[in-house]
Amino acid sequence: MSGAPEGTLEGLLARTALGERAAFEQLYRATRSKLFAVSLRIVRERALAEEVLQDSFVNIWRRASDYAAAKSAPLTWMTAIVRNRSVDLVRRSREEPDVDDTLVANLVDESAAPDREALARDEAHTLGKCLAELDAEQRQTIALAFFHGLTHSELAAHLRRPLGTVKTHVRRGLMRLRECLDRQGVRA
Amino acid sequence: MKLSRDAAEALAAEYVLGTLRGPARARFASLASRDAAVAGAMRRWEAAFAPLAQRVAPIDPPERVWRAIESRIAPAASRRASFWKPFGVVMGGVASVMLAFFLWLSLAPAPEPMFEAMLMSPDHTPRMVVAMFKPDGLRVKMMHPWKNMPGKSLELWAIPKEGSPRSLGMVSNEAPETMVHVAENDPRLADAKAFAVSLEPMGGSPTGQPTGPVLCSGAITAVRRT
Repeated sequence: MSGAPEGTLEGLLARTALGERAAFEQLYRATRSKLFAVSLRIVRERALAEEVLQDSFVNIWRRASDYAAAKSAPLTWMTAIVRNRSVDLVRRSREEPDVDDTLVANLVDESAAPDREALARDEAHTLGKCLAELDAEQRQTIALAFFHGLTHSELAAHLRRPLGTVKTHVRRGLMRLRECLDRQGVRA
Repeated sequence: MKLSRDAAEALAAEYVLGTLRGPARARFASLASRDAAVAGAMRRWEAAFAPLAQRVAPIDPPERVWRAIESRIAPAASRRASFWKPFGVVMGGVASVMLAFFLWLSLAPAPEPMFEAMLMSPDHTPRMVVAMFKPDGLRVKMMHPWKNMPGKSLELWAIPKEGSPRSLGMVSNEAPETMVHVAENDPRLADAKAFAVSLEPMGGSPTGQPTGPVLCSGAITAVRRT
């Protein structure tokens, strides 16, 4: 995405809700590359990621009028649709997932974020701070699950850890994340 | 079902993270659509994780994705009337399911299917509708998912008039709809008289032929010849 401000996306979504195709196309062009990349990391096959993007935008077109009720930032709402569709469609392959360890390792290094303009700096900063508070293993587990859509058992296989340990890392990591975010007032 | 606040938070977090899978995922999504507090927890986690998604370096999708989206949102104004015609007679027990299917189709501004099949399990429960749309492929609408399917895949087969079944791909038990990308002139559909779904190991049959029981099947009926 070329850093389209959220305000612009909001306007495009509102016009999409009214059935304006030109606005919908602009919305698609402003967000497709980011959303395609998000899906591709999870489903790992281009054809499947194309399918996810297609289904998601048909969904966005139909549900644009529900958007206001979601009380989310436009990109957050659209990303959730794409991520959920990706998780629904991902094919379970037997081979090891192709994991981008740099992305996972740089999780708390904000300078690694390629698209810094796209989201409020504060929120990114707070999340980074809270992720930094987690144990390294908790952080790595959560990052692998988020970016690559790995299941508990895939996480266990990739990290060579017992399934129960991985589940605990996820659960405790998320709990600590929530406490920290609440403390920062992000999720009030 | 009423969840405690902590349980709702924990489920919402794993749902948004993506580690909540299978029937539990579908149950949570359905709960979130009915319960404002659960939906709120889900939105908060989506917002919390939003900055992470921004870190993924963008990749341009091919232009055909937009063309496919455009064709799927094309207005269906003139198609509604003719749509009902092939279904003048709807059998009793199946009527409500068919009605649900019509509603699904009529809400979706999609083109009319070329052919379709209602797949029923041996106990005559309607399980799914498979419909061919041009140019998307087969849309599989799940009517009655199976309760428990851990570690298994549902594989969709075209059954030809003669010869062995041909695999078309996997169908999600959890998702309300699965797209199977098969062109209407795909050789696997040549002379196909029915669709069937078999229970297979995760990822599909290792042999290229059904290895598990057939869970549901149904004859293909033409909606329109083009």
